[in-house]
Amino acid sequence: MRISKIAAVGALSLAAVVALSACSSSGNAGTSGGGTQSVPTTKGDGKTLKVWVMTGDYTDATIAEINKEFTAKTGAKVDVQIQQWDGITTKISTALATSTPPDVMDLGNTQVASYAANGALLDLTPYKKDLAQGQTWLTGLSEPATVDGKLYGLPGFAGARAVIYNKTTWAKAGVTDAPTTYDELTADLDKVAAANKSTSDFSPFYLPGQQWYAGMQFVWDAGGEIATEKDGKWTAGLGDSKAQQGLADFKEFQNAYSSKASRTLDTDSPDFTQIFADGKTSAILSTNGYVDLVKKANPKLKDSDIGTFPFPGKSGKTQPVMLGGSDWGIAAKSKNTDLALQWAKIAASPSVQSKWVYGNDGWIPNSTDGIKAADSTLSDIDKGFFNAALNSKATPASGEWAGLEGDKSINQLFSAVASGSKTPESAASSFDTAADKTLNAK
Amino acid sequence: MTTTAPRLSTDEVSDHAPASAPTAVKSTRRRKRPRWISHTIAVVFSIVWIFPVYWMINTAFKPRTEAMTSKPEFYPHHPTLHNFAVAFTQGDFLVYLRNSAIVVSGAVVLSILLGLFAAAALSRFRFRGRRSIMVVILVVQMLPATALLIPQFLIFSQIGLVGTYVGLMLAYVAAVLPFTIWVMRGFFLAIPMEVEEAARMDGASTWQVLTRVLFPLVMPGVIASGVFAFIAAWNDYIVAYTFMQDQSHYTLPVWLASFTTQTSGTDFGGQMAASVLFSLPVVVFFMIIQRNLVSGMSAGAVKG
Amino acid sequence: MAISTVNPGLRRAAKGPRRNLAPLWLLSPAGIVLLAVLVAPIIYLVVTSFTDYDQRTLYTGAYDSVGIANYLSLFTDPDFWWSLIRTVLFTAAMVAGSIVIGTGVSHLLTRLSTVMRYVVTIVLIFAWGMPNVASSLVWKWLFQPGYGVMNWFLTQLHVFGDMTNVDWSNNAFLSYASIWMLIVWQAVPFIALTLYAAETQIPTELKEAVRLDGASEWGVYKTITLTFLKPTLLLVTILSVIWDYNVFNQIWLVSQGGPDDATSTLGVFTFTTAFVGFHLGQGAAISVVTTLILLILTVFYIRNLIRSGEDL
Repeated sequence: MRISKIAAVGALSLAAVVALSACSSSGNAGTSGGGTQSVPTTKGDGKTLKVWVMTGDYTDATIAEINKEFTAKTGAKVDVQIQQWDGITTKISTALATSTPPDVMDLGNTQVASYAANGALLDLTPYKKDLAQGQTWLTGLSEPATVDGKLYGLPGFAGARAVIYNKTTWAKAGVTDAPTTYDELTADLDKVAAANKSTSDFSPFYLPGQQWYAGMQFVWDAGGEIATEKDGKWTAGLGDSKAQQGLADFKEFQNAYSSKASRTLDTDSPDFTQIFADGKTSAILSTNGYVDLVKKANPKLKDSDIGTFPFPGKSGKTQPVMLGGSDWGIAAKSKNTDLALQWAKIAASPSVQSKWVYGNDGWIPNSTDGIKAADSTLSDIDKGFFNAALNSKATPASGEWAGLEGDKSINQLFSAVASGSKTPESAASSFDTAADKTLNAK
Repeated sequence: MTTTAPRLSTDEVSDHAPASAPTAVKSTRRRKRPRWISHTIAVVFSIVWIFPVYWMINTAFKPRTEAMTSKPEFYPHHPTLHNFAVAFTQGDFLVYLRNSAIVVSGAVVLSILLGLFAAAALSRFRFRGRRSIMVVILVVQMLPATALLIPQFLIFSQIGLVGTYVGLMLAYVAAVLPFTIWVMRGFFLAIPMEVEEAARMDGASTWQVLTRVLFPLVMPGVIASGVFAFIAAWNDYIVAYTFMQDQSHYTLPVWLASFTTQTSGTDFGGQMAASVLFSLPVVVFFMIIQRNLVSGMSAGAVKG
Repeated sequence: MAISTVNPGLRRAAKGPRRNLAPLWLLSPAGIVLLAVLVAPIIYLVVTSFTDYDQRTLYTGAYDSVGIANYLSLFTDPDFWWSLIRTVLFTAAMVAGSIVIGTGVSHLLTRLSTVMRYVVTIVLIFAWGMPNVASSLVWKWLFQPGYGVMNWFLTQLHVFGDMTNVDWSNNAFLSYASIWMLIVWQAVPFIALTLYAAETQIPTELKEAVRLDGASEWGVYKTITLTFLKPTLLLVTILSVIWDYNVFNQIWLVSQGGPDDATSTLGVFTFTTAFVGFHLGQGAAISVVTTLILLILTVFYIRNLIRSGEDL
């Protein structure tokens, strides 16, 4: 999914994250001298605003709420189009090229830069202050949306991955507390595996080989990096000995606790929420939104059956996670920029953020103020994700990074390692070659 | 574009019906055994060749617990229509059906109308440049779909046609019109000149000859090429995928290819049920042409 | 692929001036539309191939002419050459497979009872009529790791070892194998039925005569049947070459050109260059080259068409 630059290394407390984020908050990131203009309050009776939302990001109810407020304010209608992740780069790029592009788009935080750099998105810098509505945005969302000091995306929400496990299944196997170390985790999974021997195709922890963001957690935990930048030149680092250790750890864990078939698969095919819901696995690694999806797929599962915890790393800390997130972008070719700004402003507003984006959808809100406000009301399930977010990492902040996700080379790296079709060394060397080429293209 | 067009020539279907229960009419001693072998091979071949279709239908009627097994179930033990219900409700089947219907029927009607006149010109008249036009028509229908996609997308996006029904329709017309002209021309050629000349003797104008004499006679050709055009446009994936970004504008193939659960996961039962729904009209059409052409088609002037 | 016999008398065009204008107005509607949606884009394609049209151009309209730079970089790009080699070899494999099986099935049809022939024909029509988007999805399901029926079946054969969890799209050879099966599966019906139609036209007496001379069945097939089928076979082969060279959907939907671009044929290479990387100028250059190669194939086709008696 989406990735961010919040590089809160080490186990910090929530408060520390807040403090860190505040240092480079949205208020002073803008250097263009803009940021003072107010979002227009143009009425839009009879007009229709087209909004693209990614599947799995916001719930229908949240979008409906934003629309309701928007329509009440402007009189304009909203045409919401839900988009699939597969082939999204092609979809968005082709759509932005037309004379009637979607007005507002839900963009992954790492995607924003490449569209912005190519002139596809509206410069939001002049309205920055008004759009922030007194909040301090998470840098992990606002920074990747900032190119040459100009803001092109409005922070929407953040999310982190944690282990979602079936408490009931684990309890039956004699595990009652969530593990806090890697050894505890593997010991627990061994118990769960033993207790479920009779279930065919059972995986104690379903971790498909192509789930590269899970794989990266192992690499980061071992101290490896995808790529590092020096003097504007990227050098891919999977061949590095630490990264190699991480890949080996990933393979060991994957092969031990996930089904054989899963070694080359991605999370969608077969759908891992379904596998969890069907009881064919007792744990998956995913974001908050998936808790609801699991419950939807199997209505018999209740909140009390589900637990979450950050993935404990071999390093002794929790594994670093990619703090995914989403920004609202406005098409440069949009004919309704005034309305689009108003819509996005509502979506980013403190009330929608706290009541809907966090309150209803369970995402991490877009601002440090939002996180602070949420802290006291966190449910047990939410805590796993918020805690996981405390140790987070980013993918390379290159506009070209999207290409490596787009052509699935990173998926193939991890599935080749998991399936053993390549050794970690040879898989890493072919990935590194491709990554060097792509990241340094231009 | 033949990449998306069905691999369809018409003569091949035209001929198996005739009473020529071929060669092996006389049962000489020599041929008795080979015939038995042939039938065995035919049975094995049929099973192998129909299997993917069978498996699609089989999966479509299975509950998930029977579909997702490492040891396959060869028939649904508890047949269910659940997958079809899912296919109907996932996204908006009827909307995509409507989109496909609008675009495909528009492209077919336009191609037939334009193609009918062009085919008449290219078959009933001799004029300079006719040969070159025929060659161009033959060549362009062989072009790879991806080659045309780039410029069509660029031009159409500049004039606001990308993402619209009209734009997609025009792209399909570009793909099927040359082919339609070619097919209908074959039918025109099969009409004896005497018919036309007789009408002319009675003082009919060129227009009257066309509309009163030739067009009615060429109706089977209109149907045949209409069906071809339908199949080609109905099956297109890549143009619609590139042109139609809004989910509410998807055509059936794009919907089918992106058919997933709400969690973006693949639901194979639903996918197979959706495939059945999508394939049904095409297979039915193939059966229809089969019958139509057996009787209606003169030894085909029609190539792929 | 029989021949349209045109009575030359039919085309005796009358010489009146009114009649000479008729083809013009009959052709112009189609002509204008084709100029707009087909000819103009082709010209545009060629023009684009000489520019640096990219993602930025899509949004801002700005681009520069780069001369033949796109072609130069194409011809020095090993990815392009690999893609071309792949396309040629894979096309050859697909054509060979479908022609051999198709010819066999065609002959098989001649040796069957009416009922059995009907059964086989219906089976063929089903395989033929399946839209390729649907058949590609079915294929992915047949070969799905862990749950695919083909994986199970191959495991039962005890020849290839445990295939249950093999991911076909994760291995270059297996990706090709499964796509090859898919293409051949859908190509055989056309070839078989077309050849069968031609085969039934062969006079039985000829075969009987050769048989009486003591020729084996294989001898009869070789000397008589294949000789008669030759023109049809040639046309079917050329058409298959053109079609298989252009195959896109099945590869895109089954393997997306992976793993590691192993199944990235020219069509896939063009699409990913133009619509994933959005290097549209470069993509246009690939298209132009692809099309030129195709033109050569088409010339063969048209020459044979004319030779077989088609009057253009």
